[in-house]
Amino acid sequence: MTTTSDRLHRAGDGVSDPILEVKNASVTYDDGDTYVLDDVTFSIERNEILGVVGESGSGKSMLASALLDAIPAPGHLSGEVLYHPDQDTTIDVLEFSDAELNEYRWAEVSMVFQGAMSSFNPTMKVGAHFKDTLKAHDRAVPEGLEFAREILSDLYLDPERVLDSYPHELSGGMQQRALIALSLLLEPEVLVMDEPTAALDLLMQRSILLLLEDIKEKYDVTMVFITHDLPLVASLADRMAVMYAFELVEAGPRDQLIGDSAHPYTRALLNSTPNIDAPLEDMQPIPGKSPAPVNVPTGCSYADRCPLASDTCRQQDPAFEAVREEHTVACHHWERAAEEIGLTFGEAASIDGDAGGDPR
Amino acid sequence: MSRTRDAAPDSDGSDPLISVDDIEVHFEKERGLLELFDEPDIVHAVDGVSVDIGENDVLALVGESGCGKTTLGKTIIGLQEPTEGSISYRGRDIWETKAGNTDLSFDDIRSSLQIIHQDPGSSLNPNRRIVETLSEPIRLTHPNISAGERRTRIYSLLERVGMTPAHDFASRYPHQLSGGEKQRVALARALLMNPDVILADEAISALDVSLRVEMMDLMLDLQEEFNTSFVFISHDLSNARYFAAHGNGRIGVMYLGNLVEVGPPDRLISDPQHPYTEVLRWATPNLSLDASEAGDPPMRKIDIPDPVNPPSGCRFHTRCPEARAVCKREQPELRTLSDDHRAACFRSDPDHRYWESDPIED
Repeated sequence: MTTTSDRLHRAGDGVSDPILEVKNASVTYDDGDTYVLDDVTFSIERNEILGVVGESGSGKSMLASALLDAIPAPGHLSGEVLYHPDQDTTIDVLEFSDAELNEYRWAEVSMVFQGAMSSFNPTMKVGAHFKDTLKAHDRAVPEGLEFAREILSDLYLDPERVLDSYPHELSGGMQQRALIALSLLLEPEVLVMDEPTAALDLLMQRSILLLLEDIKEKYDVTMVFITHDLPLVASLADRMAVMYAFELVEAGPRDQLIGDSAHPYTRALLNSTPNIDAPLEDMQPIPGKSPAPVNVPTGCSYADRCPLASDTCRQQDPAFEAVREEHTVACHHWERAAEEIGLTFGEAASIDGDAGGDPR
Repeated sequence: MSRTRDAAPDSDGSDPLISVDDIEVHFEKERGLLELFDEPDIVHAVDGVSVDIGENDVLALVGESGCGKTTLGKTIIGLQEPTEGSISYRGRDIWETKAGNTDLSFDDIRSSLQIIHQDPGSSLNPNRRIVETLSEPIRLTHPNISAGERRTRIYSLLERVGMTPAHDFASRYPHQLSGGEKQRVALARALLMNPDVILADEAISALDVSLRVEMMDLMLDLQEEFNTSFVFISHDLSNARYFAAHGNGRIGVMYLGNLVEVGPPDRLISDPQHPYTEVLRWATPNLSLDASEAGDPPMRKIDIPDPVNPPSGCRFHTRCPEARAVCKREQPELRTLSDDHRAACFRSDPDHRYWESDPIED
């Protein structure tokens, strides 16, 4: 049996200068009985914004933690996570000593967790978090704080007020932006964000997304944005990846993945999303439930909910195939998906002539 | 301050189910010991809102965090006493009824107006099985019903909200349910009382995007079947549109305690009259590829002003891209534009002196 990485390699995901590569990453609990991340292989291109989308419990947070080798115990991470600080250097993240790992986290790859309220210590002022971080990583505090003020003002915050406030004195949107500033403090190469805007209202979510785009340009940082909210990340990402039941099922450039998605799950996900311009009667929930981590069915894990499923799907795990350059999908019947499952949001349903789709 | 009344579309002269008349809800901010003798800070949560809710009606309230939509929602179902103005249920003032001054009992009103909270995880008691959680309201309101009958009612309702087999789900604890299932239980609990109005306070926001349509469809089915009205609170305009359009209702846009635009979902979204509605529309993700790349936001500042000291005049003038000098001084009233579309913006009046006023410079 070929491994996913071979298959993916053959299919070609269009990443030429990866900053992070994940190969055959699996996370298991209960001595290998429970898979919460199942043989995931993908790369992140330098200076791109990658959006990773999946339902609750699809393993997307595990994927984020895997990038920092920060799987909560007693989970066990296997496979490879390779970091390329520049094009010619390759570092195996899973081989790091504790001291190296300490430097890698935050200074090379930093993470914004969901729920800013629980990321800050409520008894410490926001500024103290910045100082602590600088000290823990042996950086000069005054210069570091000067840099912090710059990032904070780039995020439309008043630096003096924010640094001198306790977390509860700031609104949710301000806390979340302060947390993003904190994660950028040591000028990391990669910023991994796990549902960074989930608890905020839409207006603040969108505003933060716009700011992230500016931040990315100004500080040259690669971003991984993990969320369940497909339309939200679609406005920001260059490339997107879709996860289902602890596996990666589709990856490709944003426009192709939205406009000409090849996996039946991606198409169903798009159609289930309330969209402001779509005809109302066309919004359809996805029937059925995603499988639990203990009973992942053999074959394609989406087969039970998929209208295209055949016997092949139930017996054989689908390999990654290239839909077109840079766009890969793990589905036996992706060629029929566009025809059988029409996308319901207007003209986006067909990106080019042959894509088909059924705009209705 | 009197406002144009926002009548329910299907009201036929008789008393509306719920009538909110020019209410105001102000909170005093907590004071520390040292400030004990200072004037307390007043948070203006809701100011001068009038709205009616009819039978089988839907009112979807949208706005950003801190705009007062939850406070207004709670006031509508009688959980929050307004500091000014009145709120009546079938023509009787709710708070007068509570004081015992009308012919209706407060218990009846209380059970006719129900709520579903945002977080289903914390609104269910983790130590009780679902069947126990659902028995309590029946035991309280109908002490004479036998245990067997209670059980039958609970099972049939659980089946109605799509939780089959009911006896299996009924014997579970909340932690054995998914988020969507917990929210269904919360909905079943609200329905036990055969309510006239259910306040769904961000009831679908904690659910996965893919489950939201399903939950809204369920609520809409029940609206028809049980003839229940919904006050649906959401920060997401596309959810509000889905819910209000299917429920034949209206969307109400709130900003800093004021209702700034009310109208049927399609008109409000295709032809927004208030600049703030435009902002919300901008903030709503759109999957169409040409529209998904968001331009700059149609507002001047990201953060909402402090409701302790709301801006003078039109409260949106500090962020509004269209604001002119007159917006700083005068507060626009909710004006009727067409039958049931209303907006509070000077720009909807072609003869207003707004058009001669000078633009605001930051």
